[in-house]
Amino acid sequence: MDKILQTIVIDWIPDKAKVVDFGCGDGALLKILAEEKSILGYGVENDPVKINGCIKNGVPVIQQDIDECIQHYRDMDFDVAIMASSIQCLKKPRNAMQNILKVANECVITLPNFGNWELRAGLLRGKMPSSVQLPAKWYETKNLHLCTIVDFEELCNEESFNIKKKVYLNNKGASSWLTNTFPNLFAAEAVYLIG
Amino acid sequence: MNVVSKKILFNEPLTLGSGEMLPGFELMTETYGELNQEKSNAVLVCHAFSGNHHAAGIKEENAKPGWWDELIGDGKTIDTEKYFIVSLNNIGGCHGSTGPTSISPKTEQAFGAGFPEVSVSDWVETQKLLADHLEIDCWEMVVGGSLGGMQALQWAISYPDKIKKAAIIAASSKISTQNIALNEVAREIIKKDECFHNGDYLSHGETPSKGLKAARMLGHITYLSESNMSKRFGRKLQDPLTKMDADINYEVENYLQYKGEQFAKTFDANSYILMTKAMDSFDPAKNFDHDLVKCLKSIQAKLLIASFDSDWLFPKEYGLDIQMSAIKAGIDSTYIELNGEYGHDSFLFYSNDYSVALKNFLNSNG
Repeated sequence: MDKILQTIVIDWIPDKAKVVDFGCGDGALLKILAEEKSILGYGVENDPVKINGCIKNGVPVIQQDIDECIQHYRDMDFDVAIMASSIQCLKKPRNAMQNILKVANECVITLPNFGNWELRAGLLRGKMPSSVQLPAKWYETKNLHLCTIVDFEELCNEESFNIKKKVYLNNKGASSWLTNTFPNLFAAEAVYLIG
Repeated sequence: MNVVSKKILFNEPLTLGSGEMLPGFELMTETYGELNQEKSNAVLVCHAFSGNHHAAGIKEENAKPGWWDELIGDGKTIDTEKYFIVSLNNIGGCHGSTGPTSISPKTEQAFGAGFPEVSVSDWVETQKLLADHLEIDCWEMVVGGSLGGMQALQWAISYPDKIKKAAIIAASSKISTQNIALNEVAREIIKKDECFHNGDYLSHGETPSKGLKAARMLGHITYLSESNMSKRFGRKLQDPLTKMDADINYEVENYLQYKGEQFAKTFDANSYILMTKAMDSFDPAKNFDHDLVKCLKSIQAKLLIASFDSDWLFPKEYGLDIQMSAIKAGIDSTYIELNGEYGHDSFLFYSNDYSVALKNFLNSNG
């Protein structure tokens, strides 16, 4: 995870929170959160290589498919659920969003913005777009449901998800006048605190 | 690898969970590697139902390597150059530790069917006495598969501050109705052997080896996966020259006959019954209002729970059940599902993912 993005996420998570990170990768974020915020964190991941990264990092992890398991995490008293750059890889992102808000009081969601001008330019050239956030070729990508900032916020509106905080970042991981004024065009990534 | 085999005598009487008492007992042990000066590199390996203390290395010429030799050794998953590994035969067993074939000091005859009922908790108590004897205050890890995994879990519950990590492999917090049913069929087969004599076969100078063999044949099927059996034997016919029995048609029949017979030569029928009973009764949550979450709350050790996808005897739901309760209890616990070719028996064999996960877990810090 990008350093600036990481700082934002860490900042939003309260001390000693019980946290679940859906799509936790090698557990790097949970490890930092445990060190800096004394959280009790669990990762959910389905990639054996990344799971071994978690075990090496000493981060508790559960090998499961997010689409299938998310509803089972409801009665676990989580304070915060994180889904960092994972939502676009899910088979049923809407279902996951409905469930994640029942898993924890607050959720931190980060997503790559498919509306970013670089990606639009790629499409205009007649090619499947790629960027720092979306580097994989179309035939290799794990992304199933890409969306733009407008799309995502529309879903939040429809489902009455309360966006408490949001930060838009450009492809250098920085917030600027441009990303804040025209996020759907200039933001490469969006970070939300939903509750 | 430094291998030391030792029988250790414990003179103090041991009160078992059932209330019965053993006046004293012996544990047959094997250790691998060296205990460091701080005594902080000790790993306890708990054996499964029919296992024993011989977990690694080859002791005598032509003798078989230990049951976990693929994972324990110099430079292996559980590295004997780094860790001091302790393995033992549990009481009630039949490989050197006090069990039904041992002589009762009271009657001066073999305990036989009179050997008291033992439980997973009783085993953990004896293992704790062994740790004290070896002056090991805290295990770096307690690990086991199947019934051995249950011991690892019980350790974490019984002695929260005496164990840093517990690896619970192909195990559960209690076995299913189907498991109990299968165990009962096996026990019935043994008891109905005409040589069983209500468990007092030793005083009759006989052994119920036919029953023991058939029980093992049934058990063996449950330890393998359907696909592994198909791949290994298919419907291949047995070579007539190597048939165990004239009635045999298929290779799989011959295999089970052979395995059953070998087992019956080395295992004791009363131990079989006793061990399966211990497996049936394992349910640590029963002392916590049948609430597994409550039961796990006091655990301080890190847990690694691993299931194998082809295991239908202890399917992944059992492991996940412990994991979900562990999360509710707020303890440090990881759950992984491994690819295993061999069904329940997968826990015995090396595979890269299995080895990497176990090694990373053992070597990880707090």
